[in-house]
Formats: sequence, C-alpha cells, structure tokens
Amino acid sequence: MPRPTPTTITLSIDGREIQAPENAMLADAAKLADVEIPVFCYEPKLGQPVGACRMCLVEIEGIPKLQTACSTAVKDGMIVHTQSERARVAQRAIVEFLLINHPLDCPVCDKGGECPLQDITFGWGAGDSRFIEPKRHFRKPLELSPLIAIDRERCILCYRCVRFAQEISEDYQLILLERGEHSFVGTFDGHPYVAPFSGNIIELCPVGALTSRPYRFRARPWEIEGAGTLCTLCPAQCNVTLTVRDERVLRVLARQHDEVDDGWLCDKGRFAYQAVHVDERITAPMIRDGGELREVGWERALAEASAGLRRAGARTAALAGGGASNEEGLLLGRLLREGLGSPHLDSRPGGAVSLDEWRALSAPALAATVSDLEFAHAVLVLDCEPVDDAPILELRIRKGVRRRHVQLAVATDRPSALDPSARTLRFAPGRGAELAAALAAALRGGDVDALAAAAGSGADAVRALAGVLREAGDEVVILYGERLLDGGAAGLLALADALGLAGHPGAGLIGIPDAANGRGLRESGVLPNAGPGLGDPALDGGRDTTAIAAGLGSGELTAVYLLGVDPLRDLPDRAAWAEALEHASTVIVHAGFLTDAVREHATVVFPAEAAAEKEGTVTHPDGRVQRLRPAIARQGAVRAEWSILAELAARLGTDLGVRSGAMVSAALFDAVPFYAGLTLEELGGHGVRWPTREQAATLPSPSDAAAAPRAPRPAPAARGGALAFGSYRSIWAGPEVAASPALAFLHPEQRVELSALDARRLGLEDGVEMLVSDETGAQIHARIAPRDAVPPGSAFLQRGIAADSANVLIGSTIEILPIPEPVEPAAEADPDGGPVEEALV
Amino acid sequence: MNRVARFAHGSRVPGWDQAADLDKDPSGVPDPALVEVPPQLRAEIEAAMARYPERRSAALPALAAAQRVHGWCSPEAIEQVACVMRLTPAYLSSVATFYDMFELEPVGRHSVYVCTNISCSLRGADGLYAQIAEAAAGDPEINLRSFECLGACDIAPMVSVDHVYYGPLGPGDAQRLVEDLQAGRDPIPELALALRRSADPNANGA
Amino acid sequence: MSQTILLADIDEPGLATLEVYERRGGYQSMRKALAMEPAAVIAELDASGLRGRGGAGFPAGRKAAFLPKGDLDKYLVCNADESEPGTFKDRELMQKNPHMLIEGIVIAAHAAGASRAFIYVRGEYEAQARILDSALAEALDAGYIGERILGGEFSCSVVLHRGAGAYICGEETGLLDSLEGKRGNPRLKPPFPAVQGLYQGPTLINNVETLSTMPYIIRIGGAEYAKLGVANGAGTKVVSVSGHVQRPGNYEVELGTPSREIIFGLAGGPPEGRRVKLWFPGGSSSPVLTEADLDIPYDFDSLAKAGTMLGSGAIIVVDDSTPVLDVALKLAKFYRHESCGKCTPCREGTSWTVRMLERIASGEATPMDLDIMASVQEHIIGNCLCVLGDAMAMPIGSMIVKFREELESHMEYQQLAGAA
Repeated sequence: MPRPTPTTITLSIDGREIQAPENAMLADAAKLADVEIPVFCYEPKLGQPVGACRMCLVEIEGIPKLQTACSTAVKDGMIVHTQSERARVAQRAIVEFLLINHPLDCPVCDKGGECPLQDITFGWGAGDSRFIEPKRHFRKPLELSPLIAIDRERCILCYRCVRFAQEISEDYQLILLERGEHSFVGTFDGHPYVAPFSGNIIELCPVGALTSRPYRFRARPWEIEGAGTLCTLCPAQCNVTLTVRDERVLRVLARQHDEVDDGWLCDKGRFAYQAVHVDERITAPMIRDGGELREVGWERALAEASAGLRRAGARTAALAGGGASNEEGLLLGRLLREGLGSPHLDSRPGGAVSLDEWRALSAPALAATVSDLEFAHAVLVLDCEPVDDAPILELRIRKGVRRRHVQLAVATDRPSALDPSARTLRFAPGRGAELAAALAAALRGGDVDALAAAAGSGADAVRALAGVLREAGDEVVILYGERLLDGGAAGLLALADALGLAGHPGAGLIGIPDAANGRGLRESGVLPNAGPGLGDPALDGGRDTTAIAAGLGSGELTAVYLLGVDPLRDLPDRAAWAEALEHASTVIVHAGFLTDAVREHATVVFPAEAAAEKEGTVTHPDGRVQRLRPAIARQGAVRAEWSILAELAARLGTDLGVRSGAMVSAALFDAVPFYAGLTLEELGGHGVRWPTREQAATLPSPSDAAAAPRAPRPAPAARGGALAFGSYRSIWAGPEVAASPALAFLHPEQRVELSALDARRLGLEDGVEMLVSDETGAQIHARIAPRDAVPPGSAFLQRGIAADSANVLIGSTIEILPIPEPVEPAAEADPDGGPVEEALV
Repeated sequence: MNRVARFAHGSRVPGWDQAADLDKDPSGVPDPALVEVPPQLRAEIEAAMARYPERRSAALPALAAAQRVHGWCSPEAIEQVACVMRLTPAYLSSVATFYDMFELEPVGRHSVYVCTNISCSLRGADGLYAQIAEAAAGDPEINLRSFECLGACDIAPMVSVDHVYYGPLGPGDAQRLVEDLQAGRDPIPELALALRRSADPNANGA
Repeated sequence: MSQTILLADIDEPGLATLEVYERRGGYQSMRKALAMEPAAVIAELDASGLRGRGGAGFPAGRKAAFLPKGDLDKYLVCNADESEPGTFKDRELMQKNPHMLIEGIVIAAHAAGASRAFIYVRGEYEAQARILDSALAEALDAGYIGERILGGEFSCSVVLHRGAGAYICGEETGLLDSLEGKRGNPRLKPPFPAVQGLYQGPTLINNVETLSTMPYIIRIGGAEYAKLGVANGAGTKVVSVSGHVQRPGNYEVELGTPSREIIFGLAGGPPEGRRVKLWFPGGSSSPVLTEADLDIPYDFDSLAKAGTMLGSGAIIVVDDSTPVLDVALKLAKFYRHESCGKCTPCREGTSWTVRMLERIASGEATPMDLDIMASVQEHIIGNCLCVLGDAMAMPIGSMIVKFREELESHMEYQQLAGAA
C-alpha cells in the first residue's frame, strides 16, 4: 500500500505563516509555528481524534463556531487564532469545567510536576473558579491491577486509556462504565486489568488518575533524570527512557521510535526494570567451591575461568543469547576462535542453518521494516506468536489491520491472539517448515497435497491462503519465528521467491530471533559456520548448539562458555543439557540470576550487566543497529561484560586490543563489513538500518545452488490417545519477570492447552493438575486448560519457565495421566530420601 | 429517579469506590470451551448477529435477550452474550451500563416505569410515582422506576407496565395498578394507550 | 390545518395492516418512485421544500443528495428514537400507520441508493416496535422490501433495531454508534453521516415523520406539496401538544398556523382560570417563549426569529401555577441524566447547573449565582461535541433572562423563610 506523501500547504496561526503537511491536524501543525494548543483527549497514537475534552477550541476565520484543533485538518490559506478573546474565553471555560470534579490534590499526587492538567491549568486556565459546590470524594487510590492504581476523583474522562484498550491493544478489557457525569473507568465485574500492554495507560493518562503502583511515590519529577536506551528483554528492542534517581532505575517510559515501537511498551519491558535492583540479582563473581557457589573477588574468578578455558583449549564451546550485545558477540567469537582455537560457538537454540541460507535470509533485498507491517498489502505471520515473541510488533500488526486494512494471514500451529483479525491456517505442532514449503508449492507449483499433509494442514486451505497472499498486492511482509528455521529456511526462501518479495520496497521478511539480540549475535559472528558479517568462519568444523550438547555429553568438549544463556531453561532437551553440563569440567556463565544451569552447573559465574548498565550495540530483527547507553552505574561489583571477555582473552595470550566500550564498538564496525563506517554518534538515539546502507553490498551473496527444501518429515505416528504437542514461550517467561516483585504474579505455571473436544474425550477438567508424559517417558506436571481454538489432536505447553518446562519433553506426542498418589516416605527403601525426590521431578 | 443515586455532598456513585479484585483472572473474550450458554439464548443471539453486516451491532438485542432469560444483566448473563458474540464481557458491560433499560441488579419481574419528565410532572407524575411506590412497597416483584420522557405526554401522567403504556392515571389508579399486577390481571386495561383515538379533530375525516 | 396528510383516517380500524393500507392506495407511491430515477426522486423531494421533522429541520432533498453516488454500501437509517421531552408524534404514526413509514423508507432508500435500511426505535416503544415487526413481515412477504422489490432491480432490506433507553441516541451520530452495538456517544463531525456514517458507509438518516411524508409527496408531486405551509417551511407538521392544556395530543397543522390556534384552538389552552406562563415551542430543548409570543406563526423561520426553534414540533405549555424554578430544575436534571459524558462542557456543565439550581431551590443562592449560571450556559453553548449541552443551556439561559425577577424573588423568599 503506498504510504501517504503529503503535500505542503501554508497557513497562518496567531499571525505566523507556517508550512505544514496538508491534512495534518491543526493541533500538530501549530507546533511547527511554536504555538502550543492545549489538549487532553488528543493523542495521535490513539488513532482518529475524538474531540471529547474540547480543550483545544480555537477560532478559525470563516467558520462561525470555535473548532477543536485536534480534529481540524489544516487547509491552505487557513487563518487560525488560538489566543483571540473568544478562544481564550472558551479555553478558560473548559479548564474551569474540568476542575469542577478534579480534587486539586496536587501536593499529594504522584503526577504533580509532570501533569498536563497542572500545566494547562497554569497556562490556559483563569486562575480561579466560581465553583463553590462540594466536590465529589471517593475512596482512592484503588487497585485496577497489581500494576496500576486508579484514582477516579482525578479522572477527567479523556478516554485515552479506554481508547488504548480498544484501538491499540484491542483487548477491550478496560472500559467506561455508566453514563454522563457518572461515567468511570473500570473493568468487567471487578476483574483486574491485566493484559500484555496495560502499562501504557499510565503513560497516556494526562492526570494522576492512573499511576504505576511500583513507581508511586518513589520520586518527584525534579529529583529524577531520564536516560534514553533500549529494552533488551526481547527482540523487539523497544526504545525506552529510564527514570533514574540516585543510580536506581525507578521507571521505564516509552521513547517513541516509529520504526521500532511506535511509542508503546509491553508490561515486561515497562516493569521488569525492578529486576535490576533486587537482592536475588547476581552482582559479584562467584566460583563453585566444594559444590557450592560462593562470591569471590574478580581476580579469583578471572583466574579460575582462564585456567578452565586454558585446560579445555579448543575443546571449549560457547553459546550466546539473551541480551548479549554485538560487541560481546564479537569478543566471544574472538576469544573462542583466536584465543582458544575453537570453532564451536552458536547463538541459536535449534539445529544449524546453512551459511548460504543465512546470507539469503539477511539479504537487504528481502529486508522488510517494522513500519512495513503497517503499510503492507498483506502480512503473513508464520510460525510465531508476536505477542509472546516480540510483543510490540503485535500492536503494529493490529494497527495496520485496523487503520490501513492490511490483510492479515496467520499460519501457526498454536492458536494466535491475532486470529480474530486474521485469515488463519493451522498446521500440526512443529510443522512450520512443511507449511512454508507447502505455501511455496501452492504459489509456484509443486506437490501441495503431500506437503500440506506433512504439515498437517488441508491442501485446499493452503491453496486458499496462498491465493490471498498472491492477490493481496505486491507488498507482502512475512513475519516468521526463529524455530521455522529448524529445517524451514529453504521453504521460507522459496515462499519469498514465489511471492516476488525480493527488491520490492515495502515487502520482505522479518525474522524474530529466539534471543533478544539474535540477529546481532549472528552478524557479529556467533555462529558455528560464519564469522563476523556472515563471512566465512576463520575456523571450520564448528558445532551447532545441539552438537555442542552432544559433544559435552560425550566428553569431546570439556568446557562451555554461556553468555546470557541458560540451556536448561532456554534450549530444547533439558535432559541432554543437564547431562552435558554435568560432564563439562568448566562451565563459565554470565548471568543475572541463579537459574537452574547456573545454580547447579556453573563453575564460574560472572555477573551480567542489566541493559540499563550496558554500553554497546544490538541489532533489531529488521537490521537496525541500535545503541545501548548506560543509564546507571553498574550495581555491586558488576563489570562491563565485554571487558571480562577481553580480559580472559588477554590472560589466554590474545590481546583483543580493546580498552573501552567505544573501542569495542569500533572494532565491531571494523569487523562486520556491512557495519563498516558506523559510529556511535551516527547511531545516536535512533539507530541505523544497515540494509539501507551502501555497505550492505558487502554481505556475501549466497551461492547459486539454491537449496532444495528439505524433504518433509513423515507425519508423526499416532499413539492411541496421545496428542501431538507443540511448545511456546510466553511473554512472561523469563527470570527478569520472576525476579521483579511487581511482575512476579504473571510468571507462568505450566499448563497444557488442548481442545475442548479432547478434554471431554479424555475426561480432563479445567484447572486440574495432571502428569504429562511423552513417548520417551519424559514427564512434567501441568494444569489442564481446555481451549476452543486448539485443533483437536494437538496440545501446547510452555517452555522457558522455571519449573515443568516443556523442554523436558523430547518426543512429539504426549499422554495426559493422573498424578500418581504420592509414595509414602519410603524410609526403609531409601534411607537418605534424596534420589526418590529427584526421581519425581 | 435514576438507577444511580444522585450524589450530593458525601454521597456515592456505585462502582466508583470499587477496586479490582486482584484474585480474579483478567477477563478476556470467554473461551467457548469454558462457558455454557442456554441453547435458546444462543440461537437468539446468533439470529440477531445475522441481521447486521457487523455482528457487534447485535449487542443491544443480545443483551436484551439475556436480560429476558436471566431477569437482569448479571455477570453470568453478560459472559454468555460475550461468549456467543466473541466480545469481551467488559465491552458489553460498558454498553449495558450506558442504557437505562438494562438492569444491573436483580429486579422484580414486572417493570413499572413512571414518566416523571416535564410534561408528565406538570400533570402530577411525581405524586403518581409516590402513590405507586406506596402501593407497591415491599413487593419484590415490582420494579418501579422513575423514567425520563417516555413519549406519551398526551396521556400524562402515565406509566409503562411491562412495556405497555397506560394513562392518564387519576386518583386511585395507582392502587388499582398494583393490585391488578399482584393479582396477575392485565393492569388498568381501560387506560391502555392502544385504545386511545387521535386528539386531532381532523384526523378521522371530520 | 386545512390539510390532513399524516393523520388522515389515522384511527381507521386495521390501518396498521397491509390489507387496509393497500386498500387506501398504499405502496402506490413506492411503485411510482421505483419507476423513477433516484435523481428524479430527489428532485421531487427538493421541490417539495420538505424540511426534516426530527429537530434540525434540514431540507430532506438536499440531505439525500449529499450521499456520494456510485457502487458503495450505503445505508438508510430511520430515526425512531423519539425521546425529546414533549414529543410523541412518531409514536402515533408508527403505531397506527406503520406501512406509510415503510413505504417512505423504500422511497428514500431508492433515492439515496441505499440497499440496507434500519429503523432505530427507542426501546421503550416496545408496543410500536411489535407493530412495526408485523408490518415489516407483511411488507417482506408482499415483496415491498427485501430482495428485488416488486421484481425490479432495487433491493433494500429493512431491519428494526430496538434501542435500550438513552436520549442521546436520538442524536444522529449517537444513534449510529448505538446501532453499531456501542455506547451511544455522538461522533465528531465532520465527517458527516452522509459521507461516513453507519459502518463507515454513506448514510442517510431521517426522522419517522419525514419519511412518512414522502409517499404523499411522491403521490402529489413536490411542487404541489410545496404549496402547503409557508415559504421555507412547506407542508404540514404533526405537533405534539402537552403540559398544561386541556386536550393534549398530536395535531397536524400547516406550517405557519398561529401558535395560539394550536395551543388554544386545538389543544384547548390551559385549564380554566390559568394563564400561559411559558411554553416550549419545539420540545424541551427549545428556548422558552411566554404568553406574549402566542401569536407567532408556527413555522421554522418565525420561531427562529423569535430566538427559539421549531425543533421536534412539540409544544409544552406551562401555566402560572408552576414556578419556573421547578421547570428549570426538572429540565436540567433530565439533561444531566442524559448527557453521554463524552465531552467536558456538557458533562460538567449540566451537573453544575443542576447543583446551582438546587442551591437556589434550597435558598442558599444569591443573585450572583444567577449570573454565574447564565455564564455557565454561555460557556456550554457552541462548545460541545453535539447539541445536547446546548439543548439544556439554551432553554435554561432563556429562563434566566425571561424569568430573572421570579427567580430572584424566590431566592429572597427562601432566605427570608430561612431567617424566620
């Protein structure tokens, strides 16, 4: 869909001639003349103006009635007076009306000092009121959710918050109840407003009616400073401003970037800052001593780590993930390859993707941008769940559908939150690769029937969806999840090719990596088969993640360096990793929290920096290199993680030549050809998308031999009564959520989602805890969660959670069984009791 | 005169003092796997949805149907509507609380709306309301409400009993109305609006 | 009053049935209109000079002509949410002659190119809605609505939609939101419904009486209809007369008939021994007139010249037995209750006005409060999202001006009483 290209017109505001884009709203255009028109209900991010608060009444020559500037599009030759007597009278009147039912409790209001109502009253109000009736008083503040407090006395009914819930997040949970002066913001029957994006309403509220419970009364606006950086809790890498007081992060606000987050944040990004300052956070190095981890000084830890690495040498492997920066990725690669002579490093949870496939997938010609999701003719969400995998992108997709009528297609195994807005195609759990191939075949010829069958979808449904994509228009964006690349890269590339996406502005691919900086880590060389810039690796024979686990398990590898990854939590096949880590003689981790692998297996623990402390760059899934800027001093004994890597390399005899964060960034820009010439200044607060740079041409082309899509796997063999299962990682899975007191209530427990039909057939009741067992006998506990939208025969479980994670299961089907009665303490059978307990886990 | 008590100094608007119950789960679109809907109600709502190009348009008829089944727009009733319409209960609550004819608390099965707007009050509606209130005092089956203009000022003062209009009510009619209702009879039948001829002398070919 | 069009034989037994309506020549105008080009139908409506009977008085032909031409999903909405206090004309028309309305709907839909029509009837009019339900079923069976009407090219479904009790849904954009299943909050205009109305499509919205008049106009021709009434106010109008009159009811008069004739001649005037103190010429939203204004001709322009409006055509007479404060308070409370709450001046202004009036009633006010109240009304007028705020502020403002003396003496009396 072509983006609007506004023409410029000339108008006069308060006697100043200005140029403004035609059809811009007057309230926005006035800013170009340095004229502020006061607004409350108007917020362009919320969509069409509603003209409810009437604060922005102005006089326009030729129009008898005063007009609301928020809803009046500017026209050439328009003459506007915002400060004429008539306009001033009306503005004063609106302020007077608004303050009738406002308590004016500014001295005890959390919004005081950063309150639009205060500012506008001061700027446009009369300074006094003729209202002498008693004001209304109510209980306050009240809980609207565990995160948000509501003070209904202060509410001026601007509707921003309820419009957010309707127009942006579309959760329709926050509503206006009653009518007229009795109207109030609330929820259905006293349910809390808990939704992935609920916190945005705090920022939208122009008065102190909606406040952050974690932030309330922690600071006054004149005691804080704002620090712009990024959130690296997920690949969406939203731009944020951290509110800092005395070296503590007290709040996270959106720092609007239209090409990244559109000015919104998810609640994880908004509230998980608390994890920076909790006691559980690891803020000092530790080593394992006599089976227990204990805090030590840096020298001891570095010595221990370097000794372990020296012992293992080329038999060391490394994994990077989480919020590890590009710079850290680069140095990790050098440490391994140059310092230890080991080619074994990876940043992907699954199996390998060929270097040619990486290059093809990263090609600038196929790179779509975040805003393309809004302006495309069609968006295909393929094998990912945006709200879990990169939440803020979901809002962008919804915006496109709602405002620009983007055709949305969702092809996933698990029902998606976007289904109600989309044309939906389901495939069997884990069969994204087959589905992609089937779609490609439907578009350009091939055995659709066989591929669709292998995907567990109907061939006609596949053809129909292919037809929708073909007919929608040229600009199609495919948003896919990293797990699709487990065998699906060729199919995906074939699909992109069939749709002719390459080189088409506004069309292309966006891959959501598993790790927050997955793309940056790849591009900085943390792959078994690629060096920095997806160049040929300096050393061949690198093992991928799966092979690393096997190598550690078999003793071929003896040390592992875990940069921001907890394999027991983040990677498939927990048992294999438990064995691998058990066998490894050296396990060095950078971690913020004592998650399972750290607690049970680490031999050296380096404290990880929080994003708020980190300096460096990360790369957004759409190729935007963005800058992390430290907002607070590192807590406790935390050191820059890049410096740990550099120090270890030095101790192993390789001077990486970096002495400051800026030097590492410079080294990165030197090492990655398509980052060449970037500077931190240029990245500034908005980053740079490398695929649009001239240097993008340095990305090596894939070899001509087009990879044939992998042969479809046979359909999973049915077991009597068993369900094919898939897994997903919830937005709320993650140690930062668990460690943030405000968010802990969201940290998920395992549940098994299955169709209502299967639940009935198997006699399973909602909410009952059961034993879930796969065909290999691996078991976890999970609560039953019947869901109408889950296709019969399938079931879904969560991974990435602390207990009973789906990565315990390694088969492809599950059975759901009653939990056996607890065995009586078998004192006589097992005197020390320990093994019995373990066996139950 | 209204469902919500008027506030004056110190009084309260119901709901304004209500915090969310943090022990409850958030309330999204109900999963059909977890909500039972009476088949008749489901059919009625689905038929209503089919009448409009956009199913959301059926919100008022669907809520009205649920109110007929449940007697009021109870949370349970709203959840059932939400389940069939694929909307959130919150959205439907927001709609239901906007309109005067949706009952947000359990009420008696006979609705008696007394118009107390200007034309009726000029002709004694406020007194009529008081008389009915007195006559019906303590009868839980009678849902007496003072209503805004019901569009029947020609028969002022008037009442709408179970959505049928009667008027003008004179002395004694209030008592009789309540008695008729309590006895299960058609109330004050001779005062039914349906029987009334046009006031215009030229209307019927005079 | 010489002509009776809408109320003609209104009480004829069975008029609400298709059989009787057809026997009286019903649906012939529709046949005639469907044989005409839509533009020709609009031309007739234009020529008739018919102005909307719902309240705003916008020329009906011009309104229909505003809808964009071409192959779009267009809608016709009949506003049957008659809620303006004092108004009950649409109720009688729907109850007694539903087919005339349906015929008018098909004519207007044809003119506007709308293939879907909705009748939004207020929820309180359940009896009338049931009558419309049966009439619609009859019309559908007869092929007068629905697919391929009369076997021709034109199709138009007609759906009856019941409201649920909210005055604001009589405002056309509030009605549209309500019809879309939302809270009945008025929308910002522009865009006007003719461009972007129901489901974002071009929408023609007409009042019951306006639509019910259309079959007659098509039958006799616009030019002929224009001969009725006065310049810039053609035709007849059903006037609802209520309050302190001896014979309250609907009276059909030619526009331009002296108001005195309606209030006294037809409705019998106030009870014996009482005098007209004030009267609302066009529903409770119209600025009030007094006894001195009784000779004003009852038409759009004459009433506008007198600083008020014809509105919905509902005359409410208040005699000298009733204090003006009671009327003002009743009115203000009504608008406070019915304010949707969306925009600030209406939501807060209606509430503030009620509280000031209550203070006057209880004797806690001073004449300065009247000035403040008058100023509050001025701050509401013209500054709201829709006209509901103005609908309170205009009559209240007019009462403060015209009955200031009475209000002040009330305060004085109350204070003296309080002191004693």
